[in-house]
Amino acid sequence: MTASFRKIDYSLRPAKYAERKMLVDVFRRLTPFQPIEDYNYVGFGSVWFSDFILFHKTLGIKDMVSIEQSDSSRDRFEENRPFQIRIEFANSSVALPRLDWTKRTITWLDYDDTLVTPMLQDVRAIASRAVSGSVLAVSVQCMKAKALIEYHEENDPSKASAIERFRQTFGRERVPDGAQDDDLAGWRYGALCRKILVTEIEQALSDRNTSPETAIQFLPICEIEYQDDARMTTIVGIFVSPEEMNRYESCSFSRIDFIPADNKAIRIEMPKLTVRELRKIEQQLPNLDGRELALGSIPASDAEKFCRMYRYFPNFSVMEA
Amino acid sequence: MTETDSEVRENISAEPTKAFFVDMLVRDIPLEQAVLDLVDNCVDGAKRLASKTERPYEGCYVEITIDQKQFRIQDNCGGFDIETAREYAFRFGRPAGAKATAHSIGQFGVGMKRALFKFGRHFNVQSATPEESWAVDVNVEEWEAESGWNFPWSEFNSDKISTDDPGTDIKVTNLRPEVALKFGTTFFVNSIIGLIKSKHRQFISDGLQISVNSTRIDATNIYLLVGDGFAPGTDILEFPSDDGAPVVAKIIVGVGPSSPKEAGWNVICNGRVILEADRRPVTGWGLLEEEAGRTLIPSFHNQFARFRGIVSFDSDDSSRIPWNTTKTDVDQDSIVWRKTFQRMLEMMRPVIDFLNELDADIDENTREKSALLDFVTKATPRRPESFLIKATFQAPARGSIVKGPKMVKIQYSRTVDDVDFLQDALGLGSAKAVGEACFDIVLKRQRD
Repeated sequence: MTASFRKIDYSLRPAKYAERKMLVDVFRRLTPFQPIEDYNYVGFGSVWFSDFILFHKTLGIKDMVSIEQSDSSRDRFEENRPFQIRIEFANSSVALPRLDWTKRTITWLDYDDTLVTPMLQDVRAIASRAVSGSVLAVSVQCMKAKALIEYHEENDPSKASAIERFRQTFGRERVPDGAQDDDLAGWRYGALCRKILVTEIEQALSDRNTSPETAIQFLPICEIEYQDDARMTTIVGIFVSPEEMNRYESCSFSRIDFIPADNKAIRIEMPKLTVRELRKIEQQLPNLDGRELALGSIPASDAEKFCRMYRYFPNFSVMEA
Repeated sequence: MTETDSEVRENISAEPTKAFFVDMLVRDIPLEQAVLDLVDNCVDGAKRLASKTERPYEGCYVEITIDQKQFRIQDNCGGFDIETAREYAFRFGRPAGAKATAHSIGQFGVGMKRALFKFGRHFNVQSATPEESWAVDVNVEEWEAESGWNFPWSEFNSDKISTDDPGTDIKVTNLRPEVALKFGTTFFVNSIIGLIKSKHRQFISDGLQISVNSTRIDATNIYLLVGDGFAPGTDILEFPSDDGAPVVAKIIVGVGPSSPKEAGWNVICNGRVILEADRRPVTGWGLLEEEAGRTLIPSFHNQFARFRGIVSFDSDDSSRIPWNTTKTDVDQDSIVWRKTFQRMLEMMRPVIDFLNELDADIDENTREKSALLDFVTKATPRRPESFLIKATFQAPARGSIVKGPKMVKIQYSRTVDDVDFLQDALGLGSAKAVGEACFDIVLKRQRD
């Protein structure tokens, strides 16, 4: 996995920003399990620590661990570290098993790359340890699977199709029988990645659980799709034991307004609007009684995107001379 | 008279408790294989109905439902009658003289019972033939507590089969906890689909329709490449028997599309795939010639990703086929296997040699310029069923095919920063492309 902190300024990615703020609203609902500030947080802070800053400031989470595999710029990470965040300098596959999982934890494996098998190993490490009430979010890039890229590059029809290569890498137990080459690019690829991740979590749980009556389940909360530069997708879910099922129900995640009713993925799309236009729409929100908005010359599709998740978008201003 | 008198003392009873027996029975079979065993029973049904057409099992179906609460397998493959149920289907082990399906794949007389006990604590089996229908319903807990080894008949009430639509309908409920947990995962269901796809591929491509949780399964196929002076080796061995049916072993070895996970030996017994892409010493890989201490056949390596070997054993008397009772491996002590194995070793050697040559040619000339690779890539894939007569493996010698000028490979390292810079500046996608572009640019400047 490449050291993406050299390439991307995390703080300037608006869709990612919106995603982080949405996650805050998801985590807020965890209070039936315990006060949210008492949760642990585990993430990949890079040099930006954007998620750590937000979760600390808005949710009050104090016990935070950032896993950092890049060892060469150690000083840089330490110097950029805001607050009392512990940095584990190790590959996630080494770091995750040695963390303390006896407390309820929110983990966000926010990978920059496309799905690879070591990520499944990470997910297993957590699913086999997390206590009831813990939350796991996983983000992966989903532009195009490596198998598809190689297939196109080699352009050798005698070799296995892209989905066959993909299946060889991930195993036929993880890739649904009906998957095809076009499931390896774009949002369809995102959906396939999410399915593979959830399958892996279920599998780790079935190895860990001893009977259906006491089995810890992984209950998906939401799925997110967004694109700043690359297409990305995220799954968010919670581990729940049967005796804490009523606490889970009290969280009423389904009442979160940005989650589509049909359990489809949340698609974060940035409206292309001027500051003046944003203001004009904002004055009419929240639109509780479903009135038709006075849009004037504003394109309806952009207005609609804005209304759907305006509470989560960043405010940009440009300093001009 | 006292018990000290051995003449009158009561005998020691070694009769097993049923609970112990059931526990031992289910121990040595993986859950996945137990599911396949039940599919094998359906296949045997289909074999009895089979037509003499190109797709003999056309019209036969098997439907499997697996979830956290139940296991169900239902087919329309003819069912079995009350006599068969009483005399053998529910008996442990096959009684001497029991009638058997010719060319069957479920010959050990344990498959169905073992699977049912393995899955859960309550099972219901119903079957209908054109003449009669019956049902057996067993609560395992109660059955274990009773004395005697009888299974109780019960009321036939299937909604899926009847004397008009003959078939078998098996339901297992009250699943064992560890089974329920596994059955509830997508991972397990996908792995069953994958296994059926490969283990029963011959029956599926012969028309049998199998579905798992409403997903209809299509068969995977093996392909061997054929071209001008390029063909797999084929041999047919016969093992006659004085008092029973002969065994016919057919061996095909050759070169297929490059795919490391499909490479190796496939062993097929009466149509049922036992080993798939096997690369263990059992099928010859990494075999040492003991005295000389030299390798007879190398261990599997990715340069053999094109190796394809298929051995099929067929016999009307399935007890003579060299497989183990769980159908997960070959019986290495069987004479039939040992003689066939010897021939497999002889036949794989020339293919290994050719793949080594191919690898050397690619190494020297690059993938783009290797004439031998180009030749192999252009060959036509063919199904193994199309090779019917004995033949030796044929492949072109290296150097007999010429393509383009002689090549040499250059390798060097530069700092990542510099390579990234050039990659960006030249708009290229990889370090390899940067190296090649640099060479081409300098060459052009010097030549011009």
